[in-house]
Amino acid sequence: MKAETNKVARLHAILWGIFSLGGMIAAFLLPVLIYMTAIAYPFSLWPFNGTRDPSLLVTGHLLGALFIFVTIAGSLYHGIFRFQSALTEVGLLNYRRPLEAIGYFIIFAGIILLAYYLGTWYLNGNIR
Amino acid sequence: MEDKKRYPELRRRLSPGWWTANRHYAMYMVREWTSLFVALYSLIFIYGLSLWATGSRTEFLNFLKNPAVVGFSLVALVFTMYHAVTWFYLLGAISPVKIGRSTTKPWQALVLNLLLLVIVSYLAIWLLVLR
Repeated sequence: MKAETNKVARLHAILWGIFSLGGMIAAFLLPVLIYMTAIAYPFSLWPFNGTRDPSLLVTGHLLGALFIFVTIAGSLYHGIFRFQSALTEVGLLNYRRPLEAIGYFIIFAGIILLAYYLGTWYLNGNIR
Repeated sequence: MEDKKRYPELRRRLSPGWWTANRHYAMYMVREWTSLFVALYSLIFIYGLSLWATGSRTEFLNFLKNPAVVGFSLVALVFTMYHAVTWFYLLGAISPVKIGRSTTKPWQALVLNLLLLVIVSYLAIWLLVLR
C-alpha cells in the first residue's frame, strides 16, 4: 500500500516538475515566438522586414524545429495543466477527474501532432 | 473508502466566487487564467502547422497574417508577459539566494530574469532568423 502511495506521489512530482519546466519555457521562449509570428511578420518589422518569413523558424534548420517543439509543447502542457487546475478552484472541484482527462487528452494530442508534423518534415529532408 | 484511506486529500472546498474577496486573490486568479491564453496560442500554432502539413506553406503564412489570429496573438502576448513577470517574481519569492549575510529579494529575481528574457529573445532571433 505504501509502495503504491509512493508511486502516486512520484507521478505527481513528475507532473508538477514538467509543469514548472513548462512555466519556465512559457516565460522565456513564448514571448519571442509570439513577437516573431504575430507582430514582426504581419507588420514587416525586424527581424523579418518583409524579406523573410516565420516558416524559416520551422524548416530553416533543426535548431529552429527544436525551438518550436520545446516552446509549443512546454507552453501547451503548462497552460492546460494550470487552467484545469484553476477551474477546480472556481467551483468545478467535483469535476476534477473529467477535467484532468480532457486536459491530458488535449496536451498529448497536441504534442503528438506537433511531433508528427516536425518529424515528418525532418525525415523528408524539408528541415535543413 | 479504502482508496480514501490510502491517499487522503485535504483540500478545502471553496465557493466559486472566493477569489473576489480581496485584490490579492483576484490577482492570483487573473494570473492563473493567463494560462488559458498560453494554451490557446499553442493550439492555434499547431493548427497553423496542420494547414501547412496538409496544404501549403502559403496557407500557414496567410493564417499567421489573418487579422483574428494577429489580434488574439497580441492579447496572448500581453498575458504571456504578465505570466513571465509574475513567474519571475514567484521564483525570487520561493527560492531566495543567500549571498553573505543578505538574502535576495523577489524584485531582484524579477529584474535579473527580465534581463535574461531580453538576452534569450535576442539570441533566439539571431540564431534562428538572422544567422
